[in-house]
Parts: sequence; C-alpha cells; structure tokens
Amino acid sequence: MLYINNLTKKYGSFTAVDHLSLHIPEGDLFGFVGPNGAGKTTTIRIVCGLLKASGGSVRIGSINAPMGSREMKRLIGYVPDFFGVYDNLKVHEYMDFYGSMYGMRSRDIAKLTDDLLELVNLSDKKEFYVDTLSRGMKQRLCVARALLHNPKLLILDEPSSGLDPRARVEMKELLKNLHSMGKTIVISSHILSELSEMCTSIGIMNHGQLVMAGRIEDIMQQVAGGRRIRIQAASGIETAVRLLMEQAGVVVESVMENEIIITNNGTDEQTSALIGQLIQNQVVLTGFYREAGSLESLFMQLTGGGVQ
Amino acid sequence: MKIRWNPIVKKDLQVTARSMRLSWGLFAYEAVLVMAFLLALAVIQAENDSYYSSGNIYSSLIYLFPVLAVAQVCIVALITPIITASSISGEKERQTFDIMLTTCMSPMAIVFGKVVSAVIRILFFVAAGMPIMALSFVVGGLEWSSLIYFVLTIILLSVLSGSIGIFCSAFCRRSISAVVLSFAFYFVLYILTFVPTILKLLWSDGDTVGEAPLFLLVNPGVFFEEFFMQLMTGESAFGAETGSNFSPGSVGYVTYQLAHGKVWMFLSAACILVLAFWFMIAAAWKVDPMNTASAASKAGKKRKGHGGQGQETT
Repeated sequence: MLYINNLTKKYGSFTAVDHLSLHIPEGDLFGFVGPNGAGKTTTIRIVCGLLKASGGSVRIGSINAPMGSREMKRLIGYVPDFFGVYDNLKVHEYMDFYGSMYGMRSRDIAKLTDDLLELVNLSDKKEFYVDTLSRGMKQRLCVARALLHNPKLLILDEPSSGLDPRARVEMKELLKNLHSMGKTIVISSHILSELSEMCTSIGIMNHGQLVMAGRIEDIMQQVAGGRRIRIQAASGIETAVRLLMEQAGVVVESVMENEIIITNNGTDEQTSALIGQLIQNQVVLTGFYREAGSLESLFMQLTGGGVQ
Repeated sequence: MKIRWNPIVKKDLQVTARSMRLSWGLFAYEAVLVMAFLLALAVIQAENDSYYSSGNIYSSLIYLFPVLAVAQVCIVALITPIITASSISGEKERQTFDIMLTTCMSPMAIVFGKVVSAVIRILFFVAAGMPIMALSFVVGGLEWSSLIYFVLTIILLSVLSGSIGIFCSAFCRRSISAVVLSFAFYFVLYILTFVPTILKLLWSDGDTVGEAPLFLLVNPGVFFEEFFMQLMTGESAFGAETGSNFSPGSVGYVTYQLAHGKVWMFLSAACILVLAFWFMIAAAWKVDPMNTASAASKAGKKRKGHGGQGQETT
C-alpha cells in the first residue's frame, strides 16, 4: 500500500530523515515509534504533502504521482497530533467544509457525515458547535473528517496525546474497528503498550533512520525478552536450579518459591531437551513458557534508552 | 450548470455571519459614515450662511457624495488588511492550516477563496453604507451609474488591499505582524510612489515632472482621486494638480496622453489588478509546502509551542 523509498529530509547540515525505506502492506495497522527527534512526524508530514523531501520517493498503491499532488492527497486521510477548530461552525458544517475541499457534492457529504458520525459515536453531536466538543470528541471528529473522502491510507500522528484514559480507550477501539473494516492505518504514538496491543506491524525510528520494522510478533521474537523463560514447579525447585545452572547458555535470573526465571540463549531443540531433563530428574513442572517481550524493552534496547 | 462555491468563501462567510464582531464592525462603520455626513452637512450649511453665499444650499449638497465616498474608501482601506491579514496566519495560529493543505484544494484556490471572502465582507460594509450614500441622491445631480462605478472602485481597492493582506498573512506567522506588514505595503503604494515625481520636480527646478507620475499608476489613492475628478468635473486630476500648466511640457508626453485622454484611470485599474494578482500568486507560492520547504516545517515546529500538546516536527 505505502512504499517509501530512500526518503531523506535535510535541514541544512542536519538530517531529520536519513534514506528511509519502508513498505506497509494493505490492511496493516502500522505503528511508528521512536524517541523525540527521531523523524517520525517529518516522515508523516512528507507523506501527507506538508513538507518537501530532500530526496527519495513515496508511492501509495499503484499511484505513482508526485508527493503533495492532488492524486496523492486524495488517497490519504490525515489526523494531526494537535489541530484547531473554527468558532461558530457546527459539526455537520465542519464535515461539509472539508468534504467540499475534496470536491465532494453537499448531498454526498451529508449522507456520509451521518454514517461517519455514527462510526465515531458522535451522531448526537451533529448540531453542536465544534468548539464546544471535548478534546476526545474533537479527535474522533477529526478521524471522521479524515475518512470523508474514503482515503486508502489513514495517517494519525499521536492521536492519543492529550486525551484522558477513557478517550484513549475509545480512540483505540475506533482504530481497531477501522482496521477490521480493512483500512490501512499508520499511527505514531508515544504510548507503546497501546501500540503493541493494536498494531499488526511496527517501525522503530532513531536518528532519522528506521532501526527495525516488521510484523509485531516477529519483532518480539527477536528481542531479549523473547528468550526469557518462566519455569513453574510444584516440587523439586532446588534440583531444577542445579540442573539449569549446569546448562550452557542458560542464565538463572531469579528463583522464587515455585518459580524460576531464566534467560536461555540456546536453540529451540536445546530448550526442548531441557524440559525433558527436568522431568527425568523428578521436577514436577506445572508451567514452562516463554515470556513475551514488551515493546518498551525492545524500544529501550534499540534506541539506547531514549524513551519518551 | 451549477456554480460551485469555493468552500473557503462559504465557510468564512458562515463563520463571519455568526460572529458578533461583524455586527459591531457594521455599527461602527455606520456611525463613522453618519458623523462624516453630518459634519459635511454642517460645513456646507455654514458656508451657505456666509455673507458671500448665494443662499442656494442645494447646489452644494452634491458634495456630500464625494465626502461620504472618501470616508468609505478610507474605512475600507483600513479594515481590509485587518480582515485579510489574519486569514492565513489566523489559520496557522488556530492550527487548521495543515489540514487545509492536505485536502485537494490547491494553494492558489485557498488564497483566492480568502481574497474573495474578504471582498464579500467588504461589500457587506458598502451595502450597509448605501442608505447614507443614497442621501446624496436626494438632492439630485448624481446618476445611479456613479454609484455603480463607485462600488466597482471599492471592489478594485478591496481586491488590492485583500491581496496585500493575504500576501503578508502568508509570510507572517502572527496576525499582528501581518497587519503591520500590510500597512508598510500601504505606505509604499500610497506614499513612496510619489517619491519619483517629487525628486523629478526638485531635479527640474519645478519645471516638469516628466514621466515620473507613471509610478502613480499603482497608487490606489491617485486612482481614486482621478476617478472622482472624472466623475464630478469630467477633468483629469492631473489638470487640477498642475493648474493651467497641464501640458506635455509640465508632465511627460506619455503621462499627458494617458491623463488627458482619460485612459489613465483604466490603465491604473489594470495595473492595480495586475499587482493584486501578483500578491495572490506570491502568497500561493509561499503557502505551498512543495515550493517552500521551510514554511510547513516551521509551522510544524511551531505547533509544539502552542498548548504544549504537540509533538516536535522531527
């Protein structure tokens, strides 16, 4: 769906985005993460036609139009991190205004407005003035506005910033809903736990470069946290600890009453053999599972602790 | 064929019509016009009451029209930059401009929509001033065509003032800076265009100004003066300014031909329109992120400062 090829943005001698190449498949919910100054927003603004790139290209689907062209803009729905609204403009007039800016007819806009306000749960606010809505409502209205021209790609820059926990949950549910409807979504967020819950793939940026990108489960497998193993036993903990300490590539991290946490650098076959050995030595196993790595730990590992 | 409104014009008018600012603005505008009318009436009466007067006040009442017209033009010249100078910088301050740029509207269409909405708002004021202007017709001596020409003149002046305002608005981040810059451009157009003529006059010991007045073709004040002189007396303002010496000798040959042949006014109108379009094109160029890499990025960086809820650009 979105193909970014060698994208570069320079401000004098400072390189904000450094030869970024990325492919986001259709239907993906892609999370963009990175510390402050990593180049996420710059990348998003270039894709949306709000900033001229110093080099590289962006393609959406089969459309190979210049960046910032009308054809490209028609394919993108953009929700900025912070945006203002007009005083004295009602919700349906707000939608009508932006729909008209995409060349849509008022009759079509009116019908779509009803459907989209229903989708973002703002149907009852149709006659309200936009500036009287809460921040969360405005954010959902902005998503509805971005969907008005039925874009192929929805880009959200920090959609949860400044929202209260309830509004965040509502926004997350809305994005999950849109994803289930087949929309391709790119979201940049500081809330890593939120991204790991809803994204299908992520890209981590640091110093203008893409450090890592891919399916979220594949990435999790690659991090240190993915090799942490939690072993639970009803009895024979001491025997288990002794056996584990004798194994090459196994580091015992902590021992509790009925649980041992280890880091295993061995292969899957070695891990399987380890289970067999524990059972043979009368260790009554009640649990043996690999700990899922958290996005936070991965982020800290890749960006050198520059968490936001 | 159905005419498609520029969405920006529709939205701006919708927002303006609901604002109390418009009502207060119209009230103040009417008040100033009424004061100008009463003052002019008092002066005319006082002059006719004098010893040398023939006592025929009606023939003098025709001068109410230019007084009111000049008052209207001055007010329009003052309020247009205030209206337009905040139109793009205001969108930037409100953080609605980025979203506008991501739509299918071209920067030129955005700028044009802003100018048109400003001109329509100015026409609200002109329309509101019509009943007072109509008082000058009560005494006769003026034709309806004069009023139509006057409205066209106002439209021309508001297109120029609006374009200057939009141009400044596109270049300034803050509305207040845009207003100040607009008035700086006013100074250049209304005052500095006289400098070549004055210098030429000094250079030639007051004999001739040569072709230096050609710079005044873009001066809206001179255009308006010429318009009124042609309307009220049928003579060129250059004749009035230079007295009986208005000849190819007192001004340059081209200036003389333009002024004497009544072409000056139309050429000046064309020059003013061209200048207005230049300001619009320059404004569109400035706001187009694909032309000015710095504009949008600076706007993006600035967002961090507003409300503290934004994120840095990079």
